[in-house]
Amino acid sequence: MLSQLDSLKTDALAALVAAQDEAALEAVRVNFLGKKGSVTALSQGMKDVPVDQKKEVGAKLNDVRTAITDGIESKKLALQAALDAKAVEGIDITLPGRPGTGNGALHPLTQIRDLAIRTLRRLGFILAEGPEIETEFHCFDALNTPADHPARNEKDTFYLPDGRLLRTHTSSVQIRTMEAAKSLPIRIIAPGAAYRRDEIDATHLSVFNQLEGLYVSNDVSLADLKGTLEAFFREIFGPNTAVRFRPHFFPFTEPSFEIDVKLEAKGKDARWIEIAGCGMVDPAVFTAVNKSRGDNLFDPETTTGFAFGLGLDRLAMILHSITDIRHLIENDVRFLQQFAA
Amino acid sequence: MQVSLSWLSTHLDLSSYTVPQLSDLLTFAGVEVEGIEERGVTTDKVVVAQIESFVQHPNADKLSVCQVNDGTGIRQIVCGAKNFKAGDKVPLALPGAVLPGGFTIKEGKLRDVASLGMMCSGKELGLGEDHSGLLILDAETTIGTPFNQLVPSDVVFDLEITPNRPDLLSHLGLARELSALTGMPLKGQRDYNKTSTPTKLETLNLKLETPSACPLYTARLIKGVKVGPSPEWLRRRLESIGLRPINSIVDITNFVMMEMGQSLHCFDLDKLSGSIVVRNASEGEQMLALDGQSYTLLADDLVIADQKRAVAIAGVMGGEETGVTEATTNVLLEAAWFTPSNIRRTSRRLGLSSDSSYRFERGIDPQQVAGGSELATKLILSIAGGTAEDVLHVAGEAPALTGEVTLDEDRARKLLGTPDLTGDEIHAILEKLGLGKKAATKHESRWHIPSYRADLQRPVDLIEEIARVIGLDRVPSKMTAVAVPSDATDRAYDFAMTIRQALVNRGCFEAQTLRLIADAQLPDTLGGGTGVAVKNPLSEDHTTLRPSIIPGLIATAALNIRQGADRLRFFELGRVFLKLPNGNSREEERLAILISGPVSPSSWHARTPQAADIHELMGIITHLPGLSRVSIEPKAVKESPANFLLTSELRAGNRNLGWIAQLHPSRARDISARHPVYVAELLLSALRQGSTGPAKFEELPRFPGMTRDVAMEVPADLPHAKVAAFFASQKEPLFIASEVFDVFTDPTGQKIAKDRKSIAWTLTYRSPEKTLETAEVDAAHQRILAALEKALPATVRR
Repeated sequence: MLSQLDSLKTDALAALVAAQDEAALEAVRVNFLGKKGSVTALSQGMKDVPVDQKKEVGAKLNDVRTAITDGIESKKLALQAALDAKAVEGIDITLPGRPGTGNGALHPLTQIRDLAIRTLRRLGFILAEGPEIETEFHCFDALNTPADHPARNEKDTFYLPDGRLLRTHTSSVQIRTMEAAKSLPIRIIAPGAAYRRDEIDATHLSVFNQLEGLYVSNDVSLADLKGTLEAFFREIFGPNTAVRFRPHFFPFTEPSFEIDVKLEAKGKDARWIEIAGCGMVDPAVFTAVNKSRGDNLFDPETTTGFAFGLGLDRLAMILHSITDIRHLIENDVRFLQQFAA
Repeated sequence: MQVSLSWLSTHLDLSSYTVPQLSDLLTFAGVEVEGIEERGVTTDKVVVAQIESFVQHPNADKLSVCQVNDGTGIRQIVCGAKNFKAGDKVPLALPGAVLPGGFTIKEGKLRDVASLGMMCSGKELGLGEDHSGLLILDAETTIGTPFNQLVPSDVVFDLEITPNRPDLLSHLGLARELSALTGMPLKGQRDYNKTSTPTKLETLNLKLETPSACPLYTARLIKGVKVGPSPEWLRRRLESIGLRPINSIVDITNFVMMEMGQSLHCFDLDKLSGSIVVRNASEGEQMLALDGQSYTLLADDLVIADQKRAVAIAGVMGGEETGVTEATTNVLLEAAWFTPSNIRRTSRRLGLSSDSSYRFERGIDPQQVAGGSELATKLILSIAGGTAEDVLHVAGEAPALTGEVTLDEDRARKLLGTPDLTGDEIHAILEKLGLGKKAATKHESRWHIPSYRADLQRPVDLIEEIARVIGLDRVPSKMTAVAVPSDATDRAYDFAMTIRQALVNRGCFEAQTLRLIADAQLPDTLGGGTGVAVKNPLSEDHTTLRPSIIPGLIATAALNIRQGADRLRFFELGRVFLKLPNGNSREEERLAILISGPVSPSSWHARTPQAADIHELMGIITHLPGLSRVSIEPKAVKESPANFLLTSELRAGNRNLGWIAQLHPSRARDISARHPVYVAELLLSALRQGSTGPAKFEELPRFPGMTRDVAMEVPADLPHAKVAAFFASQKEPLFIASEVFDVFTDPTGQKIAKDRKSIAWTLTYRSPEKTLETAEVDAAHQRILAALEKALPATVRR
């Protein structure tokens, strides 16, 4: 019996080696360990084994059964492993991925506008807006612009037949916001389109994009203006960016400044680039707003504020080294693709 | 405005400042420096030299080896120019000379031949643009003379003077400002060799009809002048700032304008008929001006006239017939103060601007009118001779434009954010700007404003002056973030950004097109609005504020097709402008999408993916943020606009979301589209309504559902929406969802009749209380099928 067991074991292990798939493996299990299998048949002969040999034969039987069971199990794992390996055979992982619908891109102006908005929101500004078809009052009069100011004529500004005009700057939103305000402080930014009657060329568009800012309260100073805008431009251009304020003139702010940042162009020395206009709100603006509101919420004796405005198209051109502003309105997909995230 | 440093230096010693320092000084005074041009050389190391002989360079065809006498001896110079001969005198830059542009001359070798300096062209010395050859000098010049003695060097600044500072529109005005900022004293007025000025030559009738438009008019008669070319110094002054010398009298008036800011005019006295009248033009009056053009004037234009006609458009331009020529012997010199708004109106309306009108419309110093006349008279007598009256004929009087301003110094400190700014500092700043302190207490001071600073009227104007002088370096940087509650504009912006990002993730590119479109683009409008026409468009390409974004996207598609793009996926978010029946207009934010061509980029997986159809676009729309819980019902519009097919309104209940359409194939062919083009325009506010408020959680099903498929044959024109509506209306308690999974038609009519289609749906059954038995599901399913065949012209395949 012992020798029978030995030879069974040898046969079984040989059969396992020969088995090449799950079915063959199952056949081996049935042939040896199944109800009618050879090992099962032999184990039924245990009852005829003399008592003194029972222990030895029993142990051997167990040993053979375990060896076959383990053999089947490991062969099963080996076969599965071979199948799994085969499943990934020939895959070239260096091929490009499936594109799906592909990705588009946000327009560079949207990206720069969003960067500006996110930065200023962190400084506590909220968004405001106003109509692009404006009245002379909101675009000029209330902004302390004299009736015979050069901008106020049909050569430079688009008018509608009814006397309204297309706003020449987003500063009109300052007036709209102050007219509607219920209380101070006001701390708003207003991104939006503005219009000037300029021939379209490499540096001009007749419709362009600005971002206006206004902070009005009872103790706003030039120091607030300086600190806020320095922080803003360092967020946009980098923490070490040099920012300077040059005295300038705007009808609706006094004192007024133009802001330059020092930037390096490729292969050239860093130079000052004009980027924005700003200033302290002129008291005449508060007076005009009060008159329009019919109250004295913006008391020109005590209310102070700062305002700023910047051209987003120009900012995008500077940041991305875009050489011709018309790229921004032509929407050539080869251009837009360059700004994909 | 062009400003000559050498001219400025006649008023102020600026020799201790470098050009960049001066440029900074101006910049931080609020005068923008738009350009700096260095002319000639300051160095003594460029001298007059004579070419004694030259030979061909042994190693270079284009070079010559010259022996040159620099006044101290002979030098060898290798030269590339060809325009000289032996004996010519030329400027020679010696080793160590620094030329304009910072180029330093060194001894060296050119192709192995020593060269001990450089002979120069005009351009290399900052004189003009001529770079075609050496600057050949007059044969009379002395060898060895430093070149800057021959042609004095100069620096010309191109300055942008802001409209509030007309007092800076002259060399003296700028010198006054620089003196205030630097503390350098102004040199006194110079003596122009005033010659004899006998008493009154003759009576002159001066009549001022319009004192509001011309408060002050003066005239001086000068007789016996000899008009000719101006002397060298005067010509050089004018030329240095870009003015063309004409004749001595005209040049003098131009010089005085650029020197003092007082604009003048000289008439040929013998061509005037009788007395001078300052009056309004008569309506339609014609005037031939010095530029040779004839102008038609209106009643509110101001003219200077004699007894017969207008002889000058006041403050803008003189008349051709009475202008000073070489033949003139007697002149009338006009110096006046005209009201800025009048000059501006006339100048704009006529499209005629001059250096004179530029100054008058900004406002000149009313107190310098007589001084301007005086200086011009002295110059005329000294240069053109003649005799002049020592009295000035005057009509009207100089307006008082300035007065006193009281400054609350605490307020100044507060507005500037500089609590440490002392009263003494403030006073010193205002005093050096020429303001006179009339009174001062601890917190307040009262100031007399000089006549040339009419821009200083209010306390805040003085605060601006202080800010300008101390500069922002003195002001600390302060930053206070203030919490302000957000409002609807903020939420609308955030929603718009979510939409943008979703579309980018679906492979769409964001476009930004101009809001002003051409009339010819209006038929591309989707949504039926009428745009708002501009009264004064610049060109026919941009006449109307768009009533729809689609015209812009179609133009974008056309451009990209021309550039060879095959796959078009664009969107734009932006404002449209709708004209309302009552004449008003409404501005509205919209989203437009345009797609055409392959649904995915070509790749090794799929070289040419299938082209998009309208369902592709519908799929993009239904998956937009804001619409995930909204069921969209397209409703064909009664009359599709001519440029579109399939135009449908997209509705959610009774709310209009927007429109979808296929661009008409004929319009698509216009733009050479290679695939059908689909467009949609949606109202952002309507999309946003679907996304308000946080989503509410619904308990997850605890028991599994079961599905049953149904296939049926229906008429080909039965809309999907009808079938969907039928399933949606079923009250069968266990039936919870339905979804179409196949639509089959056969245009050949072989597999199914042409007028029929086969559609297949999968229906889901579930109970919230238990796991369903097959039999209950089957029974429910059969009830639905029976109802289906009753309600719709459908044959269920069993």
